[in-house]
Amino acid sequence: MKRLAVLVLLLLLAAACGGGNDQQTSSSGNFDWNSKAPAKPVKITFWHGFSAGANQDAVNALAAKFSDAHKGEIEVTPVYAGDYDTTFAKLKAAIQSGKADQLPSMVQIYDIGTRFMIDSQAITPAQTFIDHEKYSAKDLEPNILGYYQINGKLFSMPWNVSTPLLYFNRDAFSEAGLDPNKPPSTLAELRVAAEKLTKKDASGSTVRYGFGAAIYGWFLEQFTARADQTYCNNGNGRDKSATKVLFNQPVDIKVVDWWANLVKDGLALNTGRQTPDAQNAFKAGKVAMNLESTGTLRGYQAAVKFQLGTAPYPKVESSTTAGGTIIGGASLWVLNKRPAYEQKAAWEFEKFLEQGDSMAYWHTHTGYFPVDKKSLDDPTDKDWVARYPQFKTAIDQLHSTKLDKATQGCLLGVMPATRQAAEVGMETAITGKAPAKKAMDDAAANIQPQIDQYNQATSGS
Amino acid sequence: MLTQVELTGIRAAASAQVRDRHRLAARELLTAALFLLPSLLVFTVFLFWPLLRSAVISTYGNDIIGRPTRFTGSHNYQLLLSQPELHEVILNTLLFTLYTVLPALVIGIALALLLQLRVAGIGFFRTLLATPFGFSVATASAVFGIFFNPGVGVLNGFLYPFHIHPVGWLTSPTTALLAVAATTVWLQLGYNVLVLSAGLQAIPEDVYEAARLDGARGLSLLRHVTLPLLTPSLFFLLVVSTIQSLQSFGQIDILTKGGPARSTTTLVYDLYLNAFAFGNSNFGLASAIAMVLFLLVVIVTAIQFGVLERRVFYR
Repeated sequence: MKRLAVLVLLLLLAAACGGGNDQQTSSSGNFDWNSKAPAKPVKITFWHGFSAGANQDAVNALAAKFSDAHKGEIEVTPVYAGDYDTTFAKLKAAIQSGKADQLPSMVQIYDIGTRFMIDSQAITPAQTFIDHEKYSAKDLEPNILGYYQINGKLFSMPWNVSTPLLYFNRDAFSEAGLDPNKPPSTLAELRVAAEKLTKKDASGSTVRYGFGAAIYGWFLEQFTARADQTYCNNGNGRDKSATKVLFNQPVDIKVVDWWANLVKDGLALNTGRQTPDAQNAFKAGKVAMNLESTGTLRGYQAAVKFQLGTAPYPKVESSTTAGGTIIGGASLWVLNKRPAYEQKAAWEFEKFLEQGDSMAYWHTHTGYFPVDKKSLDDPTDKDWVARYPQFKTAIDQLHSTKLDKATQGCLLGVMPATRQAAEVGMETAITGKAPAKKAMDDAAANIQPQIDQYNQATSGS
Repeated sequence: MLTQVELTGIRAAASAQVRDRHRLAARELLTAALFLLPSLLVFTVFLFWPLLRSAVISTYGNDIIGRPTRFTGSHNYQLLLSQPELHEVILNTLLFTLYTVLPALVIGIALALLLQLRVAGIGFFRTLLATPFGFSVATASAVFGIFFNPGVGVLNGFLYPFHIHPVGWLTSPTTALLAVAATTVWLQLGYNVLVLSAGLQAIPEDVYEAARLDGARGLSLLRHVTLPLLTPSLFFLLVVSTIQSLQSFGQIDILTKGGPARSTTTLVYDLYLNAFAFGNSNFGLASAIAMVLFLLVVIVTAIQFGVLERRVFYR
């Protein structure tokens, strides 16, 4: 009974604290610009999702640099709040408690939490600060801002940005008689390459598969955008709140079917949904082509014993000329329950993180894409790109993407759960439990009540 | 024939006796209640009250942060029952329980019997076989996860020299539930061996002696003497490990996250998915699932007591 008791208790705690509906202290309309801190320095806490390692070190270094530059004025304390999902859950619990002192001054939230954050009424939109001080966002990459803008209004500051790439084993390409300088660019080409790359030993066991990637909903979202299609209705939830997912439309069925057939025909290794398993298979040379985020580049570079190649994310159809990839990663949010002077200090820190030299540091120390265009001209950044020439693919890919509703990406309040539902659908097809069409139809039907409930809850309150 | 007076007297005496017994019972009850009070308090705070709250929350719809905001009656239950995957989830839960409880009992008996052998160094083996008991679910699951790894896993490495095609232990819907169950059996085994060994030790030697004098040997000794006398331990393990299995969470979360294609999503995991995972805070629906799970545990336990307890041989 112990485990049940703990779960029930968690439910209780989560639900019991939900008594009073608290008033919003400051919305975008009546921000108290004259708010003065009772004591200096203003202390701000920043919740982020980077566990100990290179990324967390970079966060701490940048925070220390900022605090030094603002000695006696502002002091930033970065706090690791758990991975993205945990940070998100923790923030929800803090909002639920209704107590401002439970909340951080600012928080990093993953891309797919964006719609929820806007609807939470717990944040001050970045646009409020931008409009007030006539902050110029012209140096910021428009294809990155696109994701976080709704009707031209920026709600949060994009911070760590990644895009998906096709990674491949150049040595395996040469060995199989393929030109490593001409990696596949469509699903059909990828299959042809996979047929040549798949290698069996004398006993018929496969020693190398042509393709293998984690069953990760993000990849399906990317294929959809690459085909210039929206992933949810109402203009990817950007005209008004999306009420339906579209991942059971023909283009997505085609992708899932293609993937399932690769596995069925022994050309792809299915390692399931866990990302590290797919990464390990690629690093070990068991899989010759792999889909992953730019964030994995450094890890791959350090681990592989073969020549690493990168290519733009494959297209679904060769005829598509528009479309492109959607940026992933996370952005920075200012919480509106905190005193206005503290929010202003948090905004200062956000601006600092966005500026060219900080972004160059961030880019070269983490591998995330620089948000400020100028960072790519920074000498340290130029050196870095020279050291990781594969990253050039990501830069070109981002710049060649035409920003439209499809490539802005789908905004949906229950996007994290939607991604998970899509993954169940993909996995159902890839493991041969059901045909792609049925699997994705079921997955769409499965998530529908949650979308309805979310929309009901946000329109009703 | 008794006279009326005599009759009245007897009645009075009898009712006085009954009253006495009542008074005694009341005093005893009070003493018992006092002793039970501390644990009752703990149960109330951590079990009964949450159970009640959970039942209440299951009738509420919540806002996007998870606060119960509006009474929706049976809506969450209707939603739950209308989902086609509920059957799959309940089936997964029952199959998982079957796959874990029975093998862990059977293997447990076999190992416990082996450990009764009086040979040199048996103490070492007794300790060794009880060690799984000391492993946390998380540790064991992480290790089994490495064994089962689809690309670079240990198990498939063993199969390779025999030209057996690699098995997608955790990535194929047909084997994933079995793989998670195997991990759970291993986890459960240490405890089962401990309890059953203690049960075997408690069977007095003279019972065996008497049986042997009657001509019982080997298997018949096992079937007619050892097993019946072991039934209290077996019944205890059956009930406890069934409830534990129905509520398994850690190994599923670490090994499969309910996948592939929902094939290891049990009621507890479905509850977790709705309440806490992937940015969800659907506490209403999750509470409804908790009530279904509660009902299932009650029914299964009631069946076990109703059907099997009468076969338990209490000495």
